[in-house]
Amino acid sequence: MTTEPIGLAQDLAPKGVMRAQIGHADMAIWRSTSGVISAWENRCPHRGMRLSHGFVRGESLACAYHGWHYDCDAKCHYIPAHPELEPPSTIRPAIYSVVEKAGIIWVNTAGTATPAELPDRLLGLRTITMQCDLSTAAHAIASAAQTNAALFNGSVNDINSDQTILSLANPNGTDGICILFQQPLAQSTVIHVLAHDSYSQNELIAISRWCESVRREAERIMQSSNKVEPAK
Amino acid sequence: MSITLYNYVLSGNCYKVRLLANLLNIKYETVAIDFHPGKEHQSEPLLKLNPAGTLPILVANGQVFTETQAMLVWLAQQHDPSCSWWPINNANQLAAVVQWLGFSSRLSATIGELRLHSMLNNTINIDSAQHGAKICLRELESHLTEQRIIGQQWLTGDQPTIADVACFPYTALSPDAGIEHDEYPLIRGWLHALRSLDNFLTMPGIHELHELGSTIRDKT
Amino acid sequence: MTGLEHAQKYWYPVAMLGELNDGQTKNTQLLGTEISVCGSNEESVTVSSAGQLLAVQCQYDHVWTTFSDDPYPLFAIPEAEEPGRRFVPCGVVRVSCSPLRAVENFLDIAHFPFVHTGVLGAEPHTEVYKYDVQIDEKHDEVFATNIRFFQPQASKSAEGSIETEYIYRVPAPMAAILYKTCPPKPEAMDVITLFVQPIDEETCDVWPWMALYDDTSTMADLIQFQQLIFVQDRSILENQLPRKLPIDPGHEIPTKADLTSIAYRRWLKKRGAYYGALEKI
Ligand SMILES: N[C@H](CCC(=O)N[C@@H](CS)C(=O)NCC(=O)O)C(=O)O
Ligand code: FES
Repeated sequence: MTTEPIGLAQDLAPKGVMRAQIGHADMAIWRSTSGVISAWENRCPHRGMRLSHGFVRGESLACAYHGWHYDCDAKCHYIPAHPELEPPSTIRPAIYSVVEKAGIIWVNTAGTATPAELPDRLLGLRTITMQCDLSTAAHAIASAAQTNAALFNGSVNDINSDQTILSLANPNGTDGICILFQQPLAQSTVIHVLAHDSYSQNELIAISRWCESVRREAERIMQSSNKVEPAK
Repeated sequence: MSITLYNYVLSGNCYKVRLLANLLNIKYETVAIDFHPGKEHQSEPLLKLNPAGTLPILVANGQVFTETQAMLVWLAQQHDPSCSWWPINNANQLAAVVQWLGFSSRLSATIGELRLHSMLNNTINIDSAQHGAKICLRELESHLTEQRIIGQQWLTGDQPTIADVACFPYTALSPDAGIEHDEYPLIRGWLHALRSLDNFLTMPGIHELHELGSTIRDKT
Repeated sequence: MTGLEHAQKYWYPVAMLGELNDGQTKNTQLLGTEISVCGSNEESVTVSSAGQLLAVQCQYDHVWTTFSDDPYPLFAIPEAEEPGRRFVPCGVVRVSCSPLRAVENFLDIAHFPFVHTGVLGAEPHTEVYKYDVQIDEKHDEVFATNIRFFQPQASKSAEGSIETEYIYRVPAPMAAILYKTCPPKPEAMDVITLFVQPIDEETCDVWPWMALYDDTSTMADLIQFQQLIFVQDRSILENQLPRKLPIDPGHEIPTKADLTSIAYRRWLKKRGAYYGALEKI
């Protein structure tokens, strides 16, 4: 699967800019004032500044260094040092295919983004980064699901049969939470957690705290397995 | 009323006081102290004011404060008739504010120290500061997640308080210390909300948002 | 000659004279090599590397050293001899970036409205007017003149916004000097320099130094003004990609406003100053 979930849609509000990495691709993802979302190579063609440090003005992303403005198609349309100049259309950072679906921002660095199918009625809860590899994280999640009867009935369903999306049923055996794994970076795993819209606020808080316990456990396992240096 | 802040422009703790004073429109004088390279905060005249040899120092109507948190309380209590920045009429919220003021010291002791190390080569225990910084940021991220679940944008409610002001600087400055905000989406949103407040004040390492310049730009 | 061998032929700042302390050794790095600075003053200071003493000279309030037996001479700053100026060493700031990127940023004015907002620039005054850049053949330096820019607070001594005039000199690959309008003394220009100590190709210690006409500001005020400016740049410098400076054309897209940077990159290439550059020879 080359389309990756890189964040929750609600964590990128209008005028928000964030950074994400998929493999070696370092990208800036931003949302215009009217809500249009874009994902670009994280490097301003002018002097190499990370565009994820930029600011959103209306329907443009401007670079933090010299304020070059890029429109939603990544075309540079304004260079403040030369206000009268029409910038050449060749000035544009590389762009990636990005779509927003089911509360998730999906990016493909090598083609058109095609989001995975997810169960209905899920809402974004949080994104959390663990200092461990993907399989340690997935194991920790599965075993923690067995031991929290208040939140889960213990069944873990591997939706794509490739451990990239897990769904954990709630005590009634129906839709509980969905956990999406982002392609791991060196020594860390990012998960995006979605929860069924029937949970109460108190239950959502409990799930958020459960995620933190799972992270502590996964990182403990990782440290003691000596696969990597102890996480600092 | 006379208020004098003994100030160092690169200090996150001094910035807390400048930031709140700006947000509340309070006039004050500054005296620049040559913290680096001069180590003036440890010179005799400054030690007479603050034997601890730290900045900031605030002298307000003759009273000397050497703890940032006390300065924030004093400024808010004196200058915020709405009692929203220092919510004395709400016991639960007031205690939560003090809780986060305490937390802000942990940010200074971890991220603040790491930042001085990365920028000015101060000697510190890097491993323990990095570990402590991560614990702090994760705690803050989790708290903001829970606040979002109950529909609140700020640390202790639906209005910013001095707790937000106290925790903002070193959280925002963590990239100076090599700790990026990429892992912390809720922290990012909270920082953005604080930077969007009227009368927000920048410091080196925390740039202006520039978002509103569009009107200027559209005219040209 | 490799980039490193070329870089070893220059003098670099490694300490401030004012920070020398008897009996205290300062350990630091230069061009990837550990060095130690000992001594308490201009007369007694020594710099050594792996037990070998290196050449030392004290200039512009700093201790300078070189790995070469036959270095290029340390560049001259005639203003350092002018009576009436205040000399302000501003301490050191460490930056994770190529030393060449730090110098190039110092030569750039187009970033003022965005990075030094309300101080060295402000929208809508963003235009960079035509200016001149030459190579000063006699001294083999990059030399940019006739630069004018609108500044809300050009210096500690400025009262309100002014149009400031700038001149830039690049006398060595890792040093730059600027001359700018001096508000209290219109017939003279203030001098601000950036002396860079290359720790390695992607890390530097930066020592700003100034020679100003300003009889009213305190020393702490002057130092903090400069530190404020430089630390605003720091978060930019640590986020440029790639970390090393591309000196061949094609990687990045300059405009007319970048004439000084273009001349600087060409000048580096011509002399083989590839330490901290993306390209290797
Ligand atoms: N009294 C504490 C101390 C603040 C503090 O640690 N300030 C730093 C500067 S940001 C300092 O003065 N450090 C003294 C030193 O490192 O010598 C407060 O106000 O929160
Ligand atoms: S580096 Fe982006 S505008 Fe100059």
